[in-house]
Amino acid sequence: MNRQQDCILTIDLGTGAVRIFAFDLQGIFIGSMKGSYPTFHREPDYSEQDPEQIFITVLYVLKNFLNERIHPAGYQVTTICFSAAMHSVLPVDKKGNPLGNAITWSDNRGKQEARLLKGTPLGKIIYDATGTPIHPMSPLIKITWMKNKDKERFDRTARFLSLKSYIIQQLTGETIIDYSLASATGLFNIHSFQWEQAALDYAGITAGQLPDLVPVFYSTLRLRGEFQASLGLSGRTKIIAGASDGCLATLGAGVWGEGKATITVEQSGAVRVVGKEVLIDEQQRLFNYVLTKNYYVSGGPTNNGGVIFEWFTREFGSFRKAFDLEDSMEGLIQEASKIPAGSDGLLFLPYLLGERAPIWNANARGVFFGLNMQHRQQHFIRATIEGILYEIYSIGKTLEEHRAIHTLSINGSFTAYPFWAQLISDIFNKPVHVKNNSDSIGLGAFLVAATEMGMHSSLEEATREIDVPGMYKPDKRNHDVYMGLFRIFERLSSKLADDFEEIANWQSR
Amino acid sequence: MNPYLLQKGLSKELDLFPHILEFGLKKTQTIRLASLPVEKSDSFSIYYIWEGRYDWNINDHPYILYPSDLAMILPGQPFGSPRGILDIGTYSWITLDVKETDKTFGPWSGFSPTESRSIQKILWLNSIPVAANMKETGKLFQQLAQELHLQEIGFQTRVHQLTDALLILTARQLIHQNHSQRDFSGSFMKLEQELRKNLSHQWAVEEMAALVGLGTTAFTEKVKSYTGFSPLNYLINIRISEAIKLLKQTETHLTDIALETGFYSSQHFSTTFKKLTGYTPSQFRKDNTDKS
Repeated sequence: MNRQQDCILTIDLGTGAVRIFAFDLQGIFIGSMKGSYPTFHREPDYSEQDPEQIFITVLYVLKNFLNERIHPAGYQVTTICFSAAMHSVLPVDKKGNPLGNAITWSDNRGKQEARLLKGTPLGKIIYDATGTPIHPMSPLIKITWMKNKDKERFDRTARFLSLKSYIIQQLTGETIIDYSLASATGLFNIHSFQWEQAALDYAGITAGQLPDLVPVFYSTLRLRGEFQASLGLSGRTKIIAGASDGCLATLGAGVWGEGKATITVEQSGAVRVVGKEVLIDEQQRLFNYVLTKNYYVSGGPTNNGGVIFEWFTREFGSFRKAFDLEDSMEGLIQEASKIPAGSDGLLFLPYLLGERAPIWNANARGVFFGLNMQHRQQHFIRATIEGILYEIYSIGKTLEEHRAIHTLSINGSFTAYPFWAQLISDIFNKPVHVKNNSDSIGLGAFLVAATEMGMHSSLEEATREIDVPGMYKPDKRNHDVYMGLFRIFERLSSKLADDFEEIANWQSR
Repeated sequence: MNPYLLQKGLSKELDLFPHILEFGLKKTQTIRLASLPVEKSDSFSIYYIWEGRYDWNINDHPYILYPSDLAMILPGQPFGSPRGILDIGTYSWITLDVKETDKTFGPWSGFSPTESRSIQKILWLNSIPVAANMKETGKLFQQLAQELHLQEIGFQTRVHQLTDALLILTARQLIHQNHSQRDFSGSFMKLEQELRKNLSHQWAVEEMAALVGLGTTAFTEKVKSYTGFSPLNYLINIRISEAIKLLKQTETHLTDIALETGFYSSQHFSTTFKKLTGYTPSQFRKDNTDKS
């Protein structure tokens, strides 16, 4: 078998699905396959996933992908590189078996624990050391919750894993976590690259109860013999630890270096920049995650991305075909494009799910503001999209207090709509390049693998090969309209804090 | 409309229809105490309101029913008025001898076995036992009454058809009520919960599709694009992941695990498990319980 036939697989353990990509050694995309798994909400604030179902889904998709696409085409898999959603916690017993479901990033059960720590001197010390905002999403807070509210499970837990650690453990027998994913746990010191003692003490655990720390390039893992046989993979296939999906999406979007930022709009959203230094925000609004020792990915996440537009479509869109959300969304976007920029002064605050960056207010709620008798149904559609993107802009603006941003690379299923891409360009008043998000994660993981294999001297060099497609240029007049409204948006978001709290309390009474 | 009451064993009209336990129309003009206490129902009934306003408790939940509303009572569910009295008004009802465990509704029904299972699933899994705007149901009740009273040529077949039609209409309405046809992920989540609750059941794709209110083809296509798997392969994911938990956490015998998670036999379980994981179930159990 000649060298051209070698290929690299990337496996992304996303929030709702596993996506497997294959690339040849030149970085040419060969194919991909996905398989989804559910998130359970046993109680209002709970978001959980079944680790065994994820494991089986990964195996199943991997097996189908290999048998249908890779083996028949004569490819030999030399390397498999992992990425995964951040912030999951899976307690396991001393045999390594899960104690119940994994708790995922969107779980909010630790609200009270987060409130108690946030704003204290210890909270500040932990944030500065770990780079992860003090928030229920953080594994630090989740483990603290378990110590306080689920003592029995806490006491039986030998180790607190991430979902990715569990899947890799099942496949290889080793229990590891890469620096990148570890840096999103609130337990990892992003300056010294070790577990942070102050955070461990606060959560009531020891470093031995966490997976072993490894660099993202860690490549000594091998598949268990049984899986080599059942998957038809060689015992020499390298398993590379890889990184978190957020860091890899940034890498794969080619945003590597000064003056660039990347925006992701999937169900949720994020704005990120990369730099060689930690970005210190006095108000603790931003995260700092690491990819490798030289690179920090900093930014802010929003809860209220495309999920809000999906909600709007479900409730108010017209459905020509049963369950055809896509079709209905496209119809709405077409309607929205008939309304002038700024929706004739109808403003929308998209905080239906509470909000993370930059206001970090779990009690925030949605608001339509400025309604008058001239506003028609179409204004609501456009205002909804504009509101989601004002929120993204407010994160970008917070980042710009620290770093200059000249160009944007956007990705995620919602930025694939030209209408959204142009809106982002106009609101930010910056040129915008569009990339597909799951492709970006896969490509990012491929670049880690390729760099580990010596095909690039550094990640920075690796990103130079990424071609940046499709550019949107900002319209200055629209930008001015948006800025006039954004000022009101920003003021309302902070001014309403007391009323948000009161209405949230009323709603949860 | 004149009131009437037909009862199995007492009314000759029902002699040819042993599955119909009661069929009647009730008119109430004065309120009497203790005329409708809450009692556990032992059979399956459908009520249709013609006039009045009824305060009823069905399966421990209060409902207010108005004209052209329908109520469905399953065997074992408590049913009655919270104040114990029958309100003023008029309603029709039919009580049928059907149970959830029955493979089919009976020789009288024209349903195929799969249709029959699907309709039963929909009726029995339903959480809201009332439906509004069911004038079509009222018409079916009128036609049934006419057929049973006049007994014209072909009435036996007509009664069977009308009973089937009544069940179809009820099932369809409940499905549309539970699934908005706008939110596939929400509907799929509900289906997933049902699959997990009844994992040992031999699910057919038709049944799963019926539960989200889609035809088999549209359902399969939708599931494939949403999950990446065919409906049956998605079901295998759930079966195997539940089996893994049982293998790791319990001493349960392999055959019992196989049946509990919906495999035909321990042989079928072993083959599927090995194909997917590379381990036989017993190897897998040994590997995951020996470690210290």
